[in-house]
Amino acid sequence: MTFLYKYKKWMIALVVLFAMLLLTIFLKIDISVLFVDLHYVTDLLNEMFPPNFSIIWENNIVISSIIQTIAMAYLGTLLGGIIAFVFSLIASNNIFRNKWISNVSKWLLSFIRVIPSLMIVLIFVVAVGPGAFAGVLTIIISTIGTMGKLFTESLENLDPTSANSLRATGANKLQIYKFAIWPEFQPSFISNLLYCFDINMRSAVGLGIFGGGGIGYKLYLAMRVLHYKDALALITCIIILLLVIENISNFIRSQILR
Amino acid sequence: MIKKLIPYIIYLITIVITYYAMQICGFKIDALQKGLQDSFVFIRQMFPPSWNDFKELLIPTLETISLALLGTFLGSVLSLFIALFAANNLTYNWIKFIVRSLISVERSIPELFILLILIAAYGLGALSAVLALMIGCIGMLGKLFADAIEETPSSVIESLKAGGANKVQIIYFGILPDLMPKLISYSLFRFEINIRLSVLLGAIGAGGIGYELDYAFSMLQFHRALSCLIVILILVIAIEQISIFIRKKLAIQQF
Repeated sequence: MTFLYKYKKWMIALVVLFAMLLLTIFLKIDISVLFVDLHYVTDLLNEMFPPNFSIIWENNIVISSIIQTIAMAYLGTLLGGIIAFVFSLIASNNIFRNKWISNVSKWLLSFIRVIPSLMIVLIFVVAVGPGAFAGVLTIIISTIGTMGKLFTESLENLDPTSANSLRATGANKLQIYKFAIWPEFQPSFISNLLYCFDINMRSAVGLGIFGGGGIGYKLYLAMRVLHYKDALALITCIIILLLVIENISNFIRSQILR
Repeated sequence: MIKKLIPYIIYLITIVITYYAMQICGFKIDALQKGLQDSFVFIRQMFPPSWNDFKELLIPTLETISLALLGTFLGSVLSLFIALFAANNLTYNWIKFIVRSLISVERSIPELFILLILIAAYGLGALSAVLALMIGCIGMLGKLFADAIEETPSSVIESLKAGGANKVQIIYFGILPDLMPKLISYSLFRFEINIRLSVLLGAIGAGGIGYELDYAFSMLQFHRALSCLIVILILVIAIEQISIFIRKKLAIQQF
């Protein structure tokens, strides 16, 4: 036993390694390919370089699909954020005083959150047809899930004093929303929305593959027909786009929350 | 006067941008109503799930789980290795700067595209998916691990250095013991994400339950598709609950 105890760490490491080895056998993966056989990677790199950047200005399909992707993320964030805000007003139990309804809507929000967006996009593509519209609907649903929870939490953490003093002066519910809750909630609302826009840009690009439209679809097509030089140019565009948007949203958020 | 108008100008700009964005995406209110109605009709048509298919879905589900497990394991080992070069108490500033910017570039590439590139190199299959999950870990885990390493009190490193320890000994005796609970908890959190991702990557052709779902949809077998959806939901919720439970045991605050 002392032997086992002394080498406990190594035992655990061995067991984990062995389990991972079993998994590779189950999946029929040969990891050694990575280290021994490098011709896959070198072949691909040969085909990818140099990236064909001329497709960006040759025809304006690329630029218009980039704009479409941004528009998808924007619409999804804005509409989803508004719906999520209404939802979270109902779900936070310090504002909506009916425990049953707020708990049910909380439960609904967490249910929406666990549904993978793949499922939502597949359903919408069948229902409304492939294209940017299906992508926007998917982003709206996933935004409701993620933002609803964040909004509910920040609404429940609001300081109740200003709402209480407004109520003491005889303000009605709407006035309390407008003059006490909204001003206090607004900075975190906007900064959360910006953060969400950042996430939604990524999923808007990804949804393109499943028929969501935008630049992701163009990239998928380029990979499908083995135009790797175009694909690399598109990937570079996407990375630059995502990095720029991430930095802009971080900058605005730091300005708002200052 | 102008200051009072600023919020209204912002609202106006928002409305104009929204209008153009709706035009670009083909988003119309009547289309929205019709689309939502059609979706509900479609979801109702999917019921009931075909109960016989659940047995066939067991192996693909196990495949999805093992893809995520393997990808997370390899990814966290790789991320730990990279994080050692991104923590300022272990390396020089310029190395830290380069590695950190590489990590943030990786974070901005969606895993789907990593998979597409890998498929071009290694072909369709589990290998590409595992590699995509592994590389996808670097962006998040690399940063979290590096931040956790930087939190190691400098007195520990200084005293080991004073005792004549080399870099490997400092990492092994000074940093890893403190880091272990955080490392496991972050990796578990990433595992939750990777389960969802491996469903998604499977749909492109890596196999597993995601592939079954996509295939059922494209073959118009909607009852079977609903069975896949149910399996995926149960899988995701169960993994999330287990991971939250273990993370609570490890007593690291949740995200």
